[in-house]
Amino acid sequence: MSTATAQLGERRSERLRIWGQPIAVVLIVAAVLIWAFASELDDIEKRNLNAAVILSLTWEHIVLSIAVAAIVVFVAVPLGVLLTRRWARFAAPFFLAIANIGQAAPSIGVLVLFFLALGGVVNFWVAVGPIAFYALLPVLRNTILGVRSVDSSYVEAGTGIGMSRSKVLFTIELPLAVPYILAGLRTSLVLAVGTATLATFVGDGGLGELIVTGYKLARYPVLVVGAALAMALALLVDWLGGLAERWIGPKGLR
Amino acid sequence: MNQFFEFVGQRWGSLLFDLYQHGSLVLQCTVLAVVIGVGIGIAVYSSPGGSAIATALTSAILTIPSFALFGLFIPVLGLGVQPAVITLTLYALLPIVRNTIVGLANIDPAVTGAARGIGMHRLGVLTRIELRLAWPSILAGTRVSVQMLMGIAAIAAFAKGPGLGGSIFSGLAAIGSKTAVDRALAGTIGIVVLALVVDGLLVLLGRFTTSPGVRARA
Repeated sequence: MSTATAQLGERRSERLRIWGQPIAVVLIVAAVLIWAFASELDDIEKRNLNAAVILSLTWEHIVLSIAVAAIVVFVAVPLGVLLTRRWARFAAPFFLAIANIGQAAPSIGVLVLFFLALGGVVNFWVAVGPIAFYALLPVLRNTILGVRSVDSSYVEAGTGIGMSRSKVLFTIELPLAVPYILAGLRTSLVLAVGTATLATFVGDGGLGELIVTGYKLARYPVLVVGAALAMALALLVDWLGGLAERWIGPKGLR
Repeated sequence: MNQFFEFVGQRWGSLLFDLYQHGSLVLQCTVLAVVIGVGIGIAVYSSPGGSAIATALTSAILTIPSFALFGLFIPVLGLGVQPAVITLTLYALLPIVRNTIVGLANIDPAVTGAARGIGMHRLGVLTRIELRLAWPSILAGTRVSVQMLMGIAAIAAFAKGPGLGGSIFSGLAAIGSKTAVDRALAGTIGIVVLALVVDGLLVLLGRFTTSPGVRARA
């Protein structure tokens, strides 16, 4: 019993997901596409449910998510590192509090407010901005946590053999924090894919568009295909994140 | 800003009703999820295989976009309260199951062994020792669930679900009108305030329901 069992269970469940999730993704995508295209589609369904539309909406969804992930990495990692430096450490709770409140806000509300505040202009970045803000917290928190968790004796050893501060940061602290940052990034990416399903409400497409169209026109095959593909994409991204956690990062820590 | 307060003043009644419905939906689903989730946790925690499967399944489901899950339920369950309750309860289950398993598995076996040794029944050990020791962990999972549900419940308004999400969507639909931003803002702020207040109440609940010995240790 006790902690050892919990950790064993945790590891086993990770292994289950490494194998189970890609299988689930393939099954979901295959089942829903076969089901949709094998059934009799009426004209409206055919217009909204063909390879070209599905591919372009999936692509939009992926591009949205990648843009969000890029912004999150380029903002949250440097900010997180900055907040662990001795002279900026006092500001960390402040930034974390803001990010926490940001996450307590409903994603749809943040998205709609941002859209309305900008006067309802349809633009790619109108959705990317709030989604990135929303997905920032996990990476920010984990970067701070990761850098802080580095044993101070390593840092002292680095300084002791004459490394400069930036050298210590880039060759010791950051590599050791990579597993934490990757775990945060995995969470952020999943959040981004999920929230991107709402991008259609501000005119930015993505797989949510199929859900909304299918709902509005009462064409459930359209709705179900959109929902199932969004689901599969989220599972796939999470799986890739899991692989990255396994294979990227300092060899000694694996 | 003045205009916003005026708007809130005018709609105070209906906003308050939405706030109440939002909170009541989230809380009812959470209570349901605690009952089911703790049950699942108790059923699987003693077998590593069972825990692994439960943890893997729950974390995989957690990655599914809530809007997609709502979408999948609409053809089966229709609109309104039913799909909202099922989706919310499903999401709330995940952190609770996970934390129940972790909480129960982390109990020192010497403690449960001693209880068995003085002749306590298996059920007594579970309800009087194990669950009480795991309670802080279960409650922590519940707080995560509630926080998450507040936002997901807003999306439920898309499929005619109850709560403050309706205010956000009506603001979006009324784009261009004078009150569009006010509506969306009222819904969003309402949910944030509700989330913070309920979270505070759960912390208080933890204070009162955690046995003193466990609290001192933690």
